[in-house]
Amino acid sequence: MSQAQHDAHDGHGDHGSPFIQHHFDDGQHQFDTGKLGIWFFLVQEILFFSALFVAYILYRNHHPEIFAYAHHYLDVKWGAINTAVLIVSSLTAAWSVRAAQLNQQKLLVGLLAATIACAFGFLGIKYVEYTHKIHEGILFGNRFDPCVSSGGEALPNKKNHCHGVKSSVVWDAKTKAAAKGCLEGDFDQDPAMARIQASCEVAEVTFQGTGAKRVEQSRRSIVACDTTPLEGKTGWAARRPRAASSASPCWELINNPWVCPKGPAAMVYYGDHAARGHQIEIEVANCKAAPKPTEPTDVFGDVVRPGGPGQATYVRHEPVSKHELALEVSNGPPPPHTNMFFSIYFAMTGLHGLHVLMGIFVYIWLLIRATKGQFGPAYFGPVDYAALYWHLVDLIWIFLFPLLYLIH
Amino acid sequence: MSTTHDDENTKSYLEVNPGWRNWLVTLDHKRIGMMYLFGILGALLLGGFFALLVRAELFMPGLTFVGKDWYNKFFTLHGAVMVFLVIIPGIPAALGNMILPIQLGAPDVAFPRLNLASFYLWCAGATLLLLAVVLGGVDTGWTFYTPYSLQSQTAVLPAVLGAFLLGFSSIFTGLNFLVTIHKFRPAKMGWFQMPLNVWALYATALMQVLATPVLGITLLLLFVERFIGIGVFDPTLGGDPVLFQHFFWFYSHPAVYIMILPAMGVVSELMTVFCRKPIFGYRFIAYSSVSLALLSFLVWGHHMFVSGQSRLANMVFSALTFSVGIPSAIKVFNWASTLYKGDIRLQTPMLYALSFLILFTIGGLTGIFLAILSVDVQLHDTYFVVAHFHYVMMGSALVAFLGGLHYWWPKVSGRMYPERLGQYCAVGVFVGFNLTFLPQFVMGSRGMPRRYWDYDPEYWHYHQASTIGAFILGISLFIVVCYMMWSFKNGKKASQNPWGGTTLEWSAPTPPTLYNFPEPPELHELYVYDDLVEDEANGNWVRKPASGSRPAGGH
Repeated sequence: MSQAQHDAHDGHGDHGSPFIQHHFDDGQHQFDTGKLGIWFFLVQEILFFSALFVAYILYRNHHPEIFAYAHHYLDVKWGAINTAVLIVSSLTAAWSVRAAQLNQQKLLVGLLAATIACAFGFLGIKYVEYTHKIHEGILFGNRFDPCVSSGGEALPNKKNHCHGVKSSVVWDAKTKAAAKGCLEGDFDQDPAMARIQASCEVAEVTFQGTGAKRVEQSRRSIVACDTTPLEGKTGWAARRPRAASSASPCWELINNPWVCPKGPAAMVYYGDHAARGHQIEIEVANCKAAPKPTEPTDVFGDVVRPGGPGQATYVRHEPVSKHELALEVSNGPPPPHTNMFFSIYFAMTGLHGLHVLMGIFVYIWLLIRATKGQFGPAYFGPVDYAALYWHLVDLIWIFLFPLLYLIH
Repeated sequence: MSTTHDDENTKSYLEVNPGWRNWLVTLDHKRIGMMYLFGILGALLLGGFFALLVRAELFMPGLTFVGKDWYNKFFTLHGAVMVFLVIIPGIPAALGNMILPIQLGAPDVAFPRLNLASFYLWCAGATLLLLAVVLGGVDTGWTFYTPYSLQSQTAVLPAVLGAFLLGFSSIFTGLNFLVTIHKFRPAKMGWFQMPLNVWALYATALMQVLATPVLGITLLLLFVERFIGIGVFDPTLGGDPVLFQHFFWFYSHPAVYIMILPAMGVVSELMTVFCRKPIFGYRFIAYSSVSLALLSFLVWGHHMFVSGQSRLANMVFSALTFSVGIPSAIKVFNWASTLYKGDIRLQTPMLYALSFLILFTIGGLTGIFLAILSVDVQLHDTYFVVAHFHYVMMGSALVAFLGGLHYWWPKVSGRMYPERLGQYCAVGVFVGFNLTFLPQFVMGSRGMPRRYWDYDPEYWHYHQASTIGAFILGISLFIVVCYMMWSFKNGKKASQNPWGGTTLEWSAPTPPTLYNFPEPPELHELYVYDDLVEDEANGNWVRKPASGSRPAGGH
């Protein structure tokens, strides 16, 4: 390193490119400095993502059943296409550096444009995946309310925005008025029922299929209800089912495993009356405890029998492959806190997507500069540094794809 | 920049391209450092104001002139402003930006535009924190622990976003310094011929680049959780609130070393110059700086001894925390040995350096007390911890910042601050500081919890002493800021080398020209003072003409 002192300030031409800055000795000094700078930047980017990888590892370790179930929600096909798209874009990015070094201006512009195109392709596919998830209610935190199980079976869904929904029920004044007289004793007279009614949310009614079958498939709709324990349980449970009057939506109250843990459930059932008929049975019940298994089972339903002193042996009910097991698990309702998988999924892919977007801005800037012929053998630092950044973005996806999409 | 060729080499950086518009878009590291300095001193007064409100509330038991909710907001804002706006940027952003390139004989930092971007990010972060104040404050504590920070109805979002931007300001500054130190040293300045201030800034920059991104993602997750409920930390959604603590402290422990290492670098410089002898154990100090930076990543769990960590984890973190005290102790021994048989001059910077030595010893040792598991279980969340960290963050880091500020002020402003007043204020700071925080050790060990607005009458006299000390400290600091501002225009003109230093900044003009050195400076042996003599008339130290050859380079 020569004396880092700016000597004759006689313009920039002597450095070989107008983009060599004042305080550097020469172009090589600027390039080396920038290279070290971008490497340090990449190191800190890795640390920026690291917390999410740590969270992934921790949650996976503590709740493997959530990960085994939830990853089926992700479409491996889109993930694989995205992986291929990013790898191609890494090729075009690296090649663009070579083109700049060899003064192949047209090729440089083409490759930068190709990198941007691939990046847009990646974001486009992410858009498809994300909108599908929003549509299906497969989101993070409180918003995890899927329309289907990860094996594809219909599930009760609170927010009523799954495909095939015929109608929904809202506890509004008109509906309440129509419901009057449905039950023995008016809702408004019974404080317990009134409290349920007042605090209920929109019922999810999932209708799929057509014709008469429609109604049958909607039996598992639920409504989230009042969770305060009712006094006078006997009175509540003692209601007898009775036929409803005609031409009005009536309430059918059934047990539902999703809602039961929270307290007594009320279900609103509003269907195609032509198919359903006007005979609506009303059952009121408290939530029943889940039936105890006859033998103690572990997470996968294998029976645990005590072996020798301090030992347990596991007896499978029937031989089932791990793959089938995973599928079996995925056909039921999600295990509790499956939303955590999606919290991590959206945090990781969202942050990654933001970095792809930032990369697009960088590459557009480079493309504009390249069309003005600003890069060449004497000065190609920005192309080089951007390609390094882009390779890191690609690398992070290459970790995300197997961790989220592929492993059980 | 539209300077003429001559202007660059004759006018000082303060005069060239005048006008506030030129300052706001400057690429000159000295101007950026100066702007940071003004911002940081302003933030110091703001954070200090909040501290005085807290201490005033605690002057008497039960007296509620601010109200309980506001009390929570004041200690939170005091912490957040001081940590994120003052102490973490403090020495690197203000003093480091102004001095580092000059100490390396370089015309600027590696990435001047990134430097300006760092400053803009600091301003944006400061604005957001001020916005949080205006929107009613934050009451979560500066540590933003979940789940309360997810539920609090106060202005958490702007505060967290502000801290996030400040994190990136810090990362980019660190990145800039790392690359500058690697790529802009003169050929004859190898690693072991660098000033110790540069070693300290290097180790700090390593931590800034490696640790701060983890705070970034943590705050981003917290922000997103509050904003759209992503649910990573919320226990009702299956998240883990203690995970937040792990992520937070994984950054915040190195952060405290980001605060103290540059301070140690400054003190190394002050000790050698004001004792007129070479620093004792140069290599030990250099190595211990880097090892402190690396070890600091291993001890974050000592903030979480009572958060439900396993016993094994607690023991491991406790043992590692003991080991992280060793490099600091090595430095204290080296500084004390430098003092031995030195020709000690008690000018203001040296008074701060001596204060640092005493206060850091107390702060560091009490940290070791807290590293002991059984002791920490008693002292966690008491005033003992508060006193410990104020001894290291304020009594050490801030005091060293003030020492460095007074030391380099003549160089960067071209003016001397008023020396006598400076010495009085240094004593005022020392006395006020100890009066504030020594009683806090005692009451903490007797059970006074932290973050409480009220207390049992048994603690009353400690709190009174503490509040009185706080006001003495606050007044002294306020006077310091005032006379520094005054001296900018009215101070006595400073000479080129008023303290007789041997590092390269004292070869630059006072104040430096735009690119620091009109001619390349000559590299002299570091920390060797034999051939510097003071010219009494104008307070300038000059080199005696060299007689015979002198070996270049350090030890």
